[in-house]
Amino acid sequence: MSFFYNVESTWLSLKHHAFRSLLAMLGVVLGVAAVVGMLAVSEGARVESVERIQRQGVDNIILHSERPQANVTGGENIYFYGITTEDIEHFNTVFDNVKKVVPVVELHRTIYADGKPTDVGLMGVGPDFMKISRSQNADSRGRWISEADGVTASLVCSVGVDAARQIFGLEDPLGGTISVSGSAFEVVGLLDNPLRSKLAGKHDINNLVYVDYETLLSIYNRGTLQVVADYVYVQVDDLTYLKNTADRIRTYLAETHDLPDYTISVPYELLLAEQATQRVFAVVMGSIAAISLLVGGIGIMNIMLANIYERTKEIGTLRALGAQRKTILAQFLFEAVTLTGVGGVVGVAIGFLIAMLIKYSAGMPTIVTPGSVIVALSVSILTGIIFGTHPAWKAANLSPIEALRR
Amino acid sequence: MSLIQLQGISRVYGSGPAAVHALRPANLSIEEGTFVAIYGASGSGKSTMLNMLGLLDEPSGGDYFLEGRNVAKLTDAARSEIRCREIGIVFQSFNLFPHFSILENVCMPMRFAGAERREMKDRAAELLARVGLSDRLTHSPSQLSGGQCQRVAIARALANRPAVILADEPTGNLDVKTGDEILGVFHELVDEGHTVIMVTHNAEYEKEVQRVIELNDGNVVRQ
Repeated sequence: MSFFYNVESTWLSLKHHAFRSLLAMLGVVLGVAAVVGMLAVSEGARVESVERIQRQGVDNIILHSERPQANVTGGENIYFYGITTEDIEHFNTVFDNVKKVVPVVELHRTIYADGKPTDVGLMGVGPDFMKISRSQNADSRGRWISEADGVTASLVCSVGVDAARQIFGLEDPLGGTISVSGSAFEVVGLLDNPLRSKLAGKHDINNLVYVDYETLLSIYNRGTLQVVADYVYVQVDDLTYLKNTADRIRTYLAETHDLPDYTISVPYELLLAEQATQRVFAVVMGSIAAISLLVGGIGIMNIMLANIYERTKEIGTLRALGAQRKTILAQFLFEAVTLTGVGGVVGVAIGFLIAMLIKYSAGMPTIVTPGSVIVALSVSILTGIIFGTHPAWKAANLSPIEALRR
Repeated sequence: MSLIQLQGISRVYGSGPAAVHALRPANLSIEEGTFVAIYGASGSGKSTMLNMLGLLDEPSGGDYFLEGRNVAKLTDAARSEIRCREIGIVFQSFNLFPHFSILENVCMPMRFAGAERREMKDRAAELLARVGLSDRLTHSPSQLSGGQCQRVAIARALANRPAVILADEPTGNLDVKTGDEILGVFHELVDEGHTVIMVTHNAEYEKEVQRVIELNDGNVVRQ
């Protein structure tokens, strides 16, 4: 029996019951559209959160110095706290798998340009900050602050592109000067972070002024700074050892710090947690999808049973003319799969529209992945097979004379 | 050798005291190229006999030899195969497929026999020309008269060059004149060597056929 016959017979049957077929298909259409739409929203959210975490660098461990709360200090006034120079030295020398250690210290002072105060912050950072933050030199004439600047305590700085726009407007920032608490720093370079990341998840990297860490410490001593590093980036050379290294840092800090004056964040662990959350989300989505397709499938089964009841005499005639059981089975199964398959395709198209609508009306990121389309289509075809088999089987096993008597 | 040989063929519905003997054990043989009428009143068992001959129903007992082969106890697939290739059935109410053209209707048994599309269409057109419908190939059954529909059904029955044509009250839904025309088509087929077995309750047709098998209450009373 030819495929062509099945196509023709299905087309004629669906055309004859166009409205009924459309109603039956609607369940699958809405189910698939909902699946594609929801998956697009969840994928959009996932990608956004993963990117957010990745911007902090998945191979980094970030330590934060935190002022201990009064209830743990026993009322004692803590003046100096956080990660110490010894800690940084220890990470640098004792821990294997540590590639770079970059301390960051924030100067809580107003930056002046041309005698006017600005809103940008100033950070003292190690020379490796540029690499570790995945930033680049924005102006080929300029340079990033170097280790040599630290050795000579040169009063130079590098400025993030957004900060430069804020401070200097349309003027050329290179060669310009900013002043903080009586010290003037010459701008020697522009920094651009294309990922628009945030330093330690807080400060916009493109909107900061950077001075060499050692220089900053030597100018503003403990009289000004309560910490030697607000943040310390520890980069590992191999992701495999990230957790191990993080654990060792945790153990080390727990042993050497009497007070809880630090916190540790591991973007990679956040990423894993995020992925776990996404998996739960996916299971919930999958269940909703399964239910909606189940409902759609029952609709298909219903119409197929009605079709077979209506066409009993036709089935009897086909059998009398010599049609095999398997021919009848294939014909009705093909019809059911066509209903769900076409429903699936229409559903995917509507799902696309839903995703676009959400993106442009609600401003949420949505991503329709090829995977979700393939899954939606496969499931809709599978629904046709599952819910079409019983009616098709019933049709195929009608006794010819019983069927002809109708 | 006879084309059809029935040996003690019977059909019983149900069992025990409530059993209905639709067809009591019957022996008969039908030669090739004859026009046979199975005659009887309603409930006499003539339709049961036709269902047996057309392999639409399984006998409760006995043997059925078609072209020398015992076909009484075959699998469903084998019976379908024989229905497809060896038996052509014409129904009282035509049983055409309303959504297909009459050409497609005639093609249907050839599809089941696995014929090539081209060959199938050519043969269908030829058969429809033969029953005088060559100018109606693309029409749907609803556009034809009852007599024309029955001609299509006859063309369809001939599609796979069957050994026997079974007709179940083929004139039952037609007026006398049209019925006579259909009978004329059967006569032509018999003249060409076909075997036609027609179920009827119309005594008038006795003189039209070469042989009458009469049934009464499940018994063959005349053959």
